[in-house]
Amino acid sequence: MPRNEVVQGLGLDDYKFDFRTDSKPVYRTRPGLDADVVRQISARKEEPEWMLSARLKALKIYESKPMPQWGGDLSELRETLEQTYFYVKPQEKIERSWDDVPENIKLTFERLGIPEAERKILAGVGAQYDSEMVYHSLKEEWESKGVIFDSIEDGLKNHPQLFREHFGTVIPAADNKFAALNSAVWSGGSFVYIPPGVHLDTPLQAYFRVNQERLGQFERTLIIAGEGSRAHYIEGCTAPVYSTDSFHSGVIEILVNRDARFRYTTIQNWSNNMYNLVTQRALVHQGGHMEWLDGNLGSKLTMKYPSCYLVGQGAHGEILSIAYAGDGQHQDTGGKVIHVAPNTTSSIVSKSISKGTGRSSYRGLCKVYDGATNARANVECDALLIHDTSRTDTFPYIEIDERSATVGHEATVSKVGHEQLFYLMSRGMNEAEAMALIVRGFIEPIAKELPLEYAVELNRLIELEMEGSVG
Amino acid sequence: MPDEGVAPSPGAAWVRVSAATAVPPGAIKAVQTGGERIVLANVDGDFFALEDRCSHQDFPLSSGELEGNRLECIFHGATFDVRTGRSTRLPAVRPVRTFPVEVRDGEVYLRLG
Amino acid sequence: MTNSGAVLVPKIGGRPIDREAALEVGAADPGWLKLRREEAWNIFAATPLPSTRSEEWRYTDLRSKLPLDTLSLPVAAVGKTVPAGLHRALEQDVKSGGRIVEVDGSVISAELDDSLAAQGVVLASLRDAARRGIGGVEALLATEAVPASDGKLPALNTALWSDGVFLQVPPGVSLDRPIRLSRWVSHPGTATFTRILIVAEEQSRVSFVDEILSPDFETTTLADTAVELFARGGARVQYVSLQRMGRGGFYLAHQRTLAERDATLNTLNVALGGSVGRVDLNARLLGPGANSDMLGLYFGDGDQHFDFNTSQDHVAPHARSDLLYKGALDGEAKGIFRGVIRVHEGAQGTDAYQTNRNLILSDRARANSLPNLEIEADDVRCSHGATVGQLDADALFYLMSRGLSRRRAERLVVLGFLGEVLSKLPMGGVARKITKAIETKLRYA
Repeated sequence: MPRNEVVQGLGLDDYKFDFRTDSKPVYRTRPGLDADVVRQISARKEEPEWMLSARLKALKIYESKPMPQWGGDLSELRETLEQTYFYVKPQEKIERSWDDVPENIKLTFERLGIPEAERKILAGVGAQYDSEMVYHSLKEEWESKGVIFDSIEDGLKNHPQLFREHFGTVIPAADNKFAALNSAVWSGGSFVYIPPGVHLDTPLQAYFRVNQERLGQFERTLIIAGEGSRAHYIEGCTAPVYSTDSFHSGVIEILVNRDARFRYTTIQNWSNNMYNLVTQRALVHQGGHMEWLDGNLGSKLTMKYPSCYLVGQGAHGEILSIAYAGDGQHQDTGGKVIHVAPNTTSSIVSKSISKGTGRSSYRGLCKVYDGATNARANVECDALLIHDTSRTDTFPYIEIDERSATVGHEATVSKVGHEQLFYLMSRGMNEAEAMALIVRGFIEPIAKELPLEYAVELNRLIELEMEGSVG
Repeated sequence: MPDEGVAPSPGAAWVRVSAATAVPPGAIKAVQTGGERIVLANVDGDFFALEDRCSHQDFPLSSGELEGNRLECIFHGATFDVRTGRSTRLPAVRPVRTFPVEVRDGEVYLRLG
Repeated sequence: MTNSGAVLVPKIGGRPIDREAALEVGAADPGWLKLRREEAWNIFAATPLPSTRSEEWRYTDLRSKLPLDTLSLPVAAVGKTVPAGLHRALEQDVKSGGRIVEVDGSVISAELDDSLAAQGVVLASLRDAARRGIGGVEALLATEAVPASDGKLPALNTALWSDGVFLQVPPGVSLDRPIRLSRWVSHPGTATFTRILIVAEEQSRVSFVDEILSPDFETTTLADTAVELFARGGARVQYVSLQRMGRGGFYLAHQRTLAERDATLNTLNVALGGSVGRVDLNARLLGPGANSDMLGLYFGDGDQHFDFNTSQDHVAPHARSDLLYKGALDGEAKGIFRGVIRVHEGAQGTDAYQTNRNLILSDRARANSLPNLEIEADDVRCSHGATVGQLDADALFYLMSRGLSRRRAERLVVLGFLGEVLSKLPMGGVARKITKAIETKLRYA
């Protein structure tokens, strides 16, 4: 059966980011985790006392919570974590100028196309290497309008009040085991503030790179979108392929204030030895509009369910999710929308592709509280299976306590049909072209939402590489 | 279950649920009366009573921690203002019920709604 | 806390649920059955009652709703009197090919058309069949379909069942009219455990209507039923459950259907009565060409709580299953649907569908829907859908513009919504009977 080769020809499985850089970290904690490691991280970051005690409390919560018994296979994770470096500091300070970034680190990002992206029209760029941001810059135009786009550490240092007021309010440490872990050892990530009424017409982008073997990356991002503001934030992630497993567990908190619109795009293409367990949540106030665009392509296991709490009248939440599970990979992804206020609306669209022994699972919650009158919610999940060893699951939870709510959920599972292939091939295409066309057609509704104007990971993978593989 | 007694206040069905000294300032205590599970909180000498059930997933709030006016549910980190029952942090989005409290002669009384 | 109502109503029977009860109920049983009961009791005793932490019991809190320690087993019905309430229901029934009447967990009569008996059809008290060694009871009872190993509650049923139905249809025999089971529970605070075992041999055809009724109770009263349905190659089986217990009734059903090659095994669960109704239905498609249509219909008001937990297990390739459950919820009623389609490895060519639709009719009614898919084969056609919504405003408006009162228009729209399920039932008489039951409930709602 040539199908395997055909699918590989799509380029989704060629992991182009498997290269390592020989860079010496300036500091790293010993493998494993205890209160001393947490204290060292906090001390290195010269944090205020309240943050250290919050970290230590979070560590206790992490230790007291059991491993989740649902979702993916976490049975080997404990062992992995014992060998993990929880903090690897790549350089002493965050550079504002690309030229000041150490040569070998710079090279890494250049190979990934980061400065290239910046030269395009991004409003701001951040680059994280292992545990910390090595580079952060924001265009003067936006800085003068009061936009803040800092590393999370600088956010805490330079805007202590704003930071403390909001940090951990959307995702408390106790929310789940991995949010607790992140709250204990967080390092890197962005602090973003968009002042009321400011419309960023081009995206902010953060790039996350793991280089160190056996690293745990725990970025923490806090975003505050002021009243009536508009912005788009993009994160991309890659890592080299090591023989040992790595761990990434981010926490992303977003406050969408009244009438603000915010879009958060993730293009995750970790290597297939990465556990990727992320908590992403937005609190959306009256008239606010939150969109999660979530692309999960790599990793060994991803568990990630971006969520929207619609707490203000007329708030809107949208989750567009695409997952590709290649051989041996498990993408356990989806979304959660919680309708609390009247006239709130939401939409979840999820598309997944499972290939070889890959498994993709949709897991989602749609909850409408009593009093969220006229709430409307819609969920659509489509799964595409490529081989007879591929696997897919759908686990939606629909909990409706409001009479006037209208909620719908639809899911379908299909395979790449012989008829479809046969038809396209009868029109003169070879099998690779036909397959590419079918897969592209399948993901089109989500792919078209991606920022095509600059060539970073997902685009290259889903759009261009597929075309390239055809020619 | 604690002893129950009729409160000195006329008219209303006040029930004694605890000795005031059993809930020192900054502390909380779980009590049960009339089939209700209730958590008492002492904020600098002022007593408050809330339904002992987090509005997020029904876990008992009495396992949590009191910090100022804020009672934190230990299970997922939601917080509530003990004075009003209002939820002040995700993942809870709904208030919890509160009950009127009186302290007389060193005893805490409350009235079920 | 004690269940205060239990003090007011004298217990009939008064046999608590314990190991001695399990021994007593099986005292006259053959050795194999005694052993099966004993093993089941051991599983029951060793297994904790499921809590809401368990995924399948997430929305039904057995620990607060089911006071197993205060329930008692009913004494066997004496004589053959049919309670008045049951008598009325029996009179309404259309003709049947056979009828079996069960009161408080004991079969009091079993009648079968002579012509069917002559063709070798067996309709009997399950207890008698087991004791007399009829048919394949020993091989089939609580083994492949609803064994004690399924969990605490199936184990309790297996240990304590007092009676039930055994129906066996020989190869090639086709029954034109349904077999009817009419069940009645009289005594508050009791727990009755019964079973239904139906075997349709190759190329046979049978439909079975299982109706349960009771008066209103002031205390929780449990009716627990294990339903085991076997459709051998090419057989066609239709099972209908009509649950019309009174308030206070706690209906618990463990149903499993096994459809072999080219067999059709269809089910319909109707929940109208009781305070709590929980049905676990597992449909297994064991041979190519097997088919299961699974229909469900629930209409809750007051504080009724209906919980359906269904699964469609595609073990064999080229089988089909199609599920449609629809519910309307009024008052403070709560409806829960949790369904899963499992396409096992190698079950290529599966067609499996699942739809759950809910209407919320009042401010305090609730609906939860969890339609799951677990797919381990690629050449499949699977889909599921779930909706929760309110009455169709256009339809209401239309009916009211034709002079109907709002109340009456609402009833008609609800009836139309639920009627879609009945329109798929190939049994006109039964569909009419169910429609009537819904109408009665709507009138008093």
